[in-house]
Amino acid sequence: MNPQKRREAMTGYLFSLPWVVFFLVFLTYPLLLAFKMSFQNISVTQANKAEFVGFGNWVAVVQDSLFWKATFNVVYNQAIFIAVVFVVSLGLALLLKEITKGGALIRTMYFLPVITSVAVSIIVFNMLSGPSGPIQQILISLGILDKGVDWAFSKWWAMPVLALFNSWKWFAIQMIIFLGGLLSINPELYEAAEVDGASWWNRFCNVTLPMLKPQIVFVTTMNIINGMQMFSEVFMMFNLEGGPYHSGLTPVLYLYKKGFNEMNMGYASTVGIFLMLIIVFLTTVQWKLFNRKETN
Amino acid sequence: MTLLRKRQLWVYLVLILGSLLVVYPFIFMILNSFKIGTEILNYPTRLPRHWSLNGYHRVFEQLDLGNMFKNTIIIAVSVTALNVVLSSMVAYALSKLNFPGKGLLFQVIIGSMMIPGVLLMIPAYSMYYQWGWINTYTVMIIPAALSAYNIFLIRQFMTAIPNDFLEASRLDGCTEIQTFLRIVLPMSLPVLSTVAILTFMGSWNDLAGPLLYLQDREMYTLQLGLYTIKSEIPGQNLDQLWAALTMTTLPVVVVFFFLQRYFVNAFTGVGLK
Repeated sequence: MNPQKRREAMTGYLFSLPWVVFFLVFLTYPLLLAFKMSFQNISVTQANKAEFVGFGNWVAVVQDSLFWKATFNVVYNQAIFIAVVFVVSLGLALLLKEITKGGALIRTMYFLPVITSVAVSIIVFNMLSGPSGPIQQILISLGILDKGVDWAFSKWWAMPVLALFNSWKWFAIQMIIFLGGLLSINPELYEAAEVDGASWWNRFCNVTLPMLKPQIVFVTTMNIINGMQMFSEVFMMFNLEGGPYHSGLTPVLYLYKKGFNEMNMGYASTVGIFLMLIIVFLTTVQWKLFNRKETN
Repeated sequence: MTLLRKRQLWVYLVLILGSLLVVYPFIFMILNSFKIGTEILNYPTRLPRHWSLNGYHRVFEQLDLGNMFKNTIIIAVSVTALNVVLSSMVAYALSKLNFPGKGLLFQVIIGSMMIPGVLLMIPAYSMYYQWGWINTYTVMIIPAALSAYNIFLIRQFMTAIPNDFLEASRLDGCTEIQTFLRIVLPMSLPVLSTVAILTFMGSWNDLAGPLLYLQDREMYTLQLGLYTIKSEIPGQNLDQLWAALTMTTLPVVVVFFFLQRYFVNAFTGVGLK
């Protein structure tokens, strides 16, 4: 190796060193520890008294109806969230593409919820949507509601209301990703479609949607991964138990409760591993679905 | 022509209506922060009858808000600085230097983005507990000092910098480190600001981290403080609550307005790569 190449390689190793250390200490080691702890009965403060329990925790999680309830809650929540935020953000991106002036200012406004913390926005949202807040007042005056309702304390409404909150908070990121995609579509495709006499709807289905596929795959995957890890929102809104009937309980909230409230870290680790398996499964299914469409 | 104009008018109307819906909660928050508690409770949607600074006075008297600001700033600034420095070093090695094992390194970085953070919550806690890191700045700063996502973002940008610039600098006798500091870093300012803003906001707004690792009131960050104000005396301290909400949000909003171009750009190309 000549001196220049050797010098380059040495600098390369020196500059990569922070990542290697970080990867081993803060990712690999805890990951292995998570698997080890899932076979143990262990609490934080008495780590040296860990007791080996084999697959005990794994069997217990499979049979734990609360864990599956929490998983169902997130799926219920995300199904609504993904649908709402898809329509809203794609619609707004299509509109933003049409205008020439003032787009930057409007985009900035739309980003305000994104930069606000979950803690702040949940408190404001609860006030807005609470029984005496303006949203319910409007619904009452329109005759849709009879009287104010405490949404966070109802069995079926807690998650849809949270999904609407999340849509308000996060649509701007997805909108900007869609807008970037829309702007990169070759205008000739639309012109060709127009010459062929395709209607707006036809052009949307046959040009816009297929060309946006990379962005759609990306945002759906992100939404699934992030949704499965939902924590701060439900913790702020429903506290440790996840509200009445556990209707706001999510797997991460459950993991937190098991690990840090009941001090059962072996069980909590196992919940984490199940969660990872679910995320991997859902992401794979989603990738497969999108890829099959392409070959047809 | 008129048809086109009419269409534009509708487009603007919908977009502006949308932005009013998005901004309304912030106006609602600011207006309520100037009311007294009973007025917030009974007339949340009205304009304040008497503009009162009561909440702002009391929040400083009763809460250690100054201390929370201090903690939050120390953590957010350190995390941001470390991320910018360390991530750009790794990104430089990945995009501009040749060494055996580089491909594997990149694979590992991409792969590590798939590990869900929550899986590590429990083992990481027991690790930090044994190290005596709980209730320190260290636990909030060091494990957050580097992120695969940031490395990836900076690497994508640096790859696009033409190698001619580097060659010229090497011919002038610069070492690799000098080339990095004098040529590549200054040229990467747009992506570095993006990374800085995203990291700073993530750290400033984080609730789960402080909730897990900071139990001592002295160590509380703003978000953790807000959570406790909210849960401690329900209904009794609305003036303080709304003043505190406004004060923790406005700094980030102001910074964002000045730097929003970089922030919005961060997301534009994300789905394509």
